[in-house]
Amino acid sequence: MLQMRISFLIALATALVASATSPASATPPTSLDVTASAVNFYYNRFIVTADGNVRVRLSDGTVVSGETFTMDLKLNRYLVAGDVHLDGPTVHETGAAFAGYPDLDRSYFLPASGTPSRATYLGIDWAHPVANREQPGDAFYFPDLTGERAYIKADGARIVPKTNVLFDMARVYTAGVYLPAPRYVVTFGPNSHYYENAFAGGRLDVGVPFNGSAHSLTALHVRNDAFNGTYLAFDQHFVWDQDWIVFGVDPLTQEQRQYNLIGYKRWSPKFESRLFLQESAAQAGIINRPTNAAGFAQLQLTGGFRGSSLTYTQDNYYQYLLGLPHGITDLNVSTPEFDTRWKEHPTDASLVFTGGPTPLTHGSTRLLLRPRAGIGWAHDIYGEGGYPNEQPGPPTVSYRYLGGSLYTPAINLTRSLAFTASYDRQRTWYSLPHQLDNGDLRLTLGGVRERQHLRAFVAYEIKTIDDYWGSAQLAAYTPSPDISVTPFGTFSGQAAFRGLATSRGYTSSVIYTPTPSFELNLMLSRFYDTPAPVPGLYGQPPWQFAADLRVRLSRQILLDLGRSYYFNFANERWTPQFVIQFTP
Amino acid sequence: MTIRPLAVLLASIALAALALPSLAQGELVRFTGQLLDVRNGYVYFTTGDAFKLADTPRIADYDTGKPTTLKPRAKLFARALFDPATKQVVELDLTARHLAPDVAYAAVAQPLAATRPTTERAPEIVGVKLTGKEVAVAFLVTVPPTTPLNASVYISTDVSGWNPQAIKLDRIDGNRYRAVRRFASGTKFAYRVTRGSWNSVAVGNDGLQAPALEYVTKEVDAQEARTDVFAWTDDRGNAPQGAQPGAVPTPYNPNPFQPGGIFPAPHASPPGGFPTPRPPSQPNQPPH
Repeated sequence: MLQMRISFLIALATALVASATSPASATPPTSLDVTASAVNFYYNRFIVTADGNVRVRLSDGTVVSGETFTMDLKLNRYLVAGDVHLDGPTVHETGAAFAGYPDLDRSYFLPASGTPSRATYLGIDWAHPVANREQPGDAFYFPDLTGERAYIKADGARIVPKTNVLFDMARVYTAGVYLPAPRYVVTFGPNSHYYENAFAGGRLDVGVPFNGSAHSLTALHVRNDAFNGTYLAFDQHFVWDQDWIVFGVDPLTQEQRQYNLIGYKRWSPKFESRLFLQESAAQAGIINRPTNAAGFAQLQLTGGFRGSSLTYTQDNYYQYLLGLPHGITDLNVSTPEFDTRWKEHPTDASLVFTGGPTPLTHGSTRLLLRPRAGIGWAHDIYGEGGYPNEQPGPPTVSYRYLGGSLYTPAINLTRSLAFTASYDRQRTWYSLPHQLDNGDLRLTLGGVRERQHLRAFVAYEIKTIDDYWGSAQLAAYTPSPDISVTPFGTFSGQAAFRGLATSRGYTSSVIYTPTPSFELNLMLSRFYDTPAPVPGLYGQPPWQFAADLRVRLSRQILLDLGRSYYFNFANERWTPQFVIQFTP
Repeated sequence: MTIRPLAVLLASIALAALALPSLAQGELVRFTGQLLDVRNGYVYFTTGDAFKLADTPRIADYDTGKPTTLKPRAKLFARALFDPATKQVVELDLTARHLAPDVAYAAVAQPLAATRPTTERAPEIVGVKLTGKEVAVAFLVTVPPTTPLNASVYISTDVSGWNPQAIKLDRIDGNRYRAVRRFASGTKFAYRVTRGSWNSVAVGNDGLQAPALEYVTKEVDAQEARTDVFAWTDDRGNAPQGAQPGAVPTPYNPNPFQPGGIFPAPHASPPGGFPTPRPPSQPNQPPH
């Protein structure tokens, strides 16, 4: 196990080094290495500037030097100006300015020898400039950065167009001061997979991305959550056009640790796979052998069709990767540290068809259907534990289901009022044998008052879950004591429950958005549930009120304040929840 | 009678002399712009135009007109005084302050530039003229009917660093969410629709991971960007009954209305007392 771990770490380190130093020589330039007396990055504008002794090395080895440099990362164009020298194996030129347009595969130059003229380089053919060819009117314009503050100051930058910038000896503007970071990576490309990490939710997450290349990003995170406190975490991304891998260790510095890996691969335009691997380990130190470990693996294969998809999903659980815990000798005896149901590897799998919206009627009031169906099985957590009315339980439960959503698109009643209706129904047949019927009827009336900056809707919803056991219904749902005593009081009315549950609810919402920087969202819900909820046992609060306020305090700070009120259900009134987002 | 034609002739000559700066005694042409460089006797502006410099041009402060310690260099703004008689710039008034574009530059200065005119077209340079005017853009997202009523839906953009909660949309009816933002024409970005986390992102209409959507603000008065969500990545619909304790609703797991309530904790827990391994299901955060 230890050798495997070290081998894995060596392999990961090798991949990191390889990804960070991948050479690139294609045309147009795949990277620009910029050094200067001062390198600045303006996050609001996605602009990198450099001043004083600027030296820009393109990925083909050509060097452009000058007095000042600027690059608009979003427009993907750069400019070197002032005493410009263009040097490479086939070129040695001096000039006033050099502008690179990688998207056009053109470079525009103002030579300073002889009569002023314009030269255009096609691709990286530096030996054959085209004279007096038309150039973009703003090819040599500097961006106006009046009033902007640099988010990062650095000594150098490695820019991978359309992907990221790695800053050397960076000072990052944080809470009013520039904090030093030896390396810092800003990812700006249109590929969101650099940002999809494998961490669980937390109260705080400050990422320090410190290494990156055209296809990789490495970050250290300072995180805080209720279970682990404050700790460090690590994640590594590898990203290609559509495929991606993210590996994370979360936490890195606590004994109870999770190693996560998510991989995505598009095998063909209509077939993809997704793999999630997780090891939960009790492990002191960074690379010490864990004392206990459990694993989870999920594989998902999806085939896409026009307006529908077919997905196979399999989950595998491995509770004792390192053998039985200390002191356990009998697998059939439960202890506080051992649940006998974990002695085998629980597994589940399903094959699911999901259909897209299919119009059933046409005209002004359209009716759409989204069908779905699936089969699946689950082994072995049910069987080992069994049910009170099915002892011993079967090792495997299989099931199949058929369902769908019938709904209308928004029907405009007036210019500002729309009505929608939907009904979702599903029946699931289990091998055990019983069947489960789920139903969800939803009627919604929504309106927009643009002048008053108001949006509002009111919805009425009926949800049902009916568990049918046929002649065994009363065995499955044996009358329970009518009185439940919980820390929140004594509740009655449970004895009548025979497996058929209903929830009716009203939900209304008002949203006030006078400006994009201010939004107030108020939502009130009232539920009538059968069986009635019991605080501390099950069910949802009958009354729920939620308020959410989002205020952008500055360009960098967005305050999101949300609170819910449960009208004293389970002694819950206001639940404080504050979220403050800082954006650079 | 001969006096009148003579007077007309003289007046015409005087008018022509006034109209042509090169003929007007001491009339210098002035224009402003941002400097690229001063090299080999020429001053280069960011328009790409070069103008011949006099042997000893006067370097002055833009605001006071007095001598300055500033030296002509890239990024500085300058007012050039051009002598049409000698076809040279005789004075540069410098400032580090940003000056508004000189609207008369193309008409006044460009004809005087020493740069050779372009003779070859570049067909790859295309584009629509954009003024950068503010355009109200309504994002309208239609979600699957099974999306919970209290679900929050967001737009995540590359310019927000792919913050999965960058632009919050408001539910306006059973199927649709909407938000209005104002962007300058020409604004371009990539975006995805999320439910607040990268664990819940809209997939394409074939159920597969879709590329980010491209958005461009056109030169119009108002614009609408519509997106139909086929499904969410975490919307494994009703599907797999996970092999976890309490995964199948039974009398012994009487939590029929998940999520959204107070539920009893699972009875079985894995060894070590730490949480049951499962895919991340809560919002995660981007690396910065």
